[in-house]
Amino acid sequence: MSDFRFSQNQASPAKTNIIMAGIIFMLIINISVQTWLLFGALNNALQDNLFFAVATFAGSAVLSLFSFWILRFLPDPLESESKK
Amino acid sequence: MSSNKIPNWRSDFPIRDKEAIHVSRREFAKFLSLFSGALALGSGAIVVKALAFPEGKPEGEHFICDDSEVPSGSMLQFELGGNKTIPYLLIHLADGEWRAFEQKCTHLSCAVHYVAENDRIECPCHKGSFNSRTGDVIEGPPPRPLPQLEVVRKEGKIFVRSFKNS
Repeated sequence: MSDFRFSQNQASPAKTNIIMAGIIFMLIINISVQTWLLFGALNNALQDNLFFAVATFAGSAVLSLFSFWILRFLPDPLESESKK
Repeated sequence: MSSNKIPNWRSDFPIRDKEAIHVSRREFAKFLSLFSGALALGSGAIVVKALAFPEGKPEGEHFICDDSEVPSGSMLQFELGGNKTIPYLLIHLADGEWRAFEQKCTHLSCAVHYVAENDRIECPCHKGSFNSRTGDVIEGPPPRPLPQLEVVRKEGKIFVRSFKNS
């Protein structure tokens, strides 16, 4: 039908690679922030501070939802040449 | 078209060794997302624990021992139950005063002990030390003073209770 995708791939052959690396980079950033939030919530000094625990949980949940949502932009696996 | 698609069971249980150990970037990204979900669940567990099992201060007076059992300049370890058992230190200071502190260091919860020669409470793990009268941090990594109980002496018997203003 349309050869738009073919032309696009020819114009920027590293596109899939960049998208994949970008998504993985964002996921690692998310996990780093979530680890930091969890570490804060586990701090003994804050064990009486329920608001902090709720706030970190909310932040962590939002980041987690983002992590799942961003998976929809994962590039499809390339079909190997032998199967074509 | 659909006949070319590899069924899920085949990709889950590949025949070739190379396919079994290969982790694609797609799989790695999915694993990171799952890990992110696990971290969110962990944060949720902390909230649930804080709501379901709140830490209460010991209520009322608790008999610990007779005052003759703890000579001047020494300490006695005791525990107070509740929804959670917490270890405490009863200290008979050299000048005859009594103090009771939680035995968990505020740094990383190591067991602290009273050292009569220095008149300090010391943590052996990271060399933190606390004032034996107030529980304040003198040196080392502990970020906060030791939680303290009020000691009441009645007819030669030692009782502890939580401070009313704390």
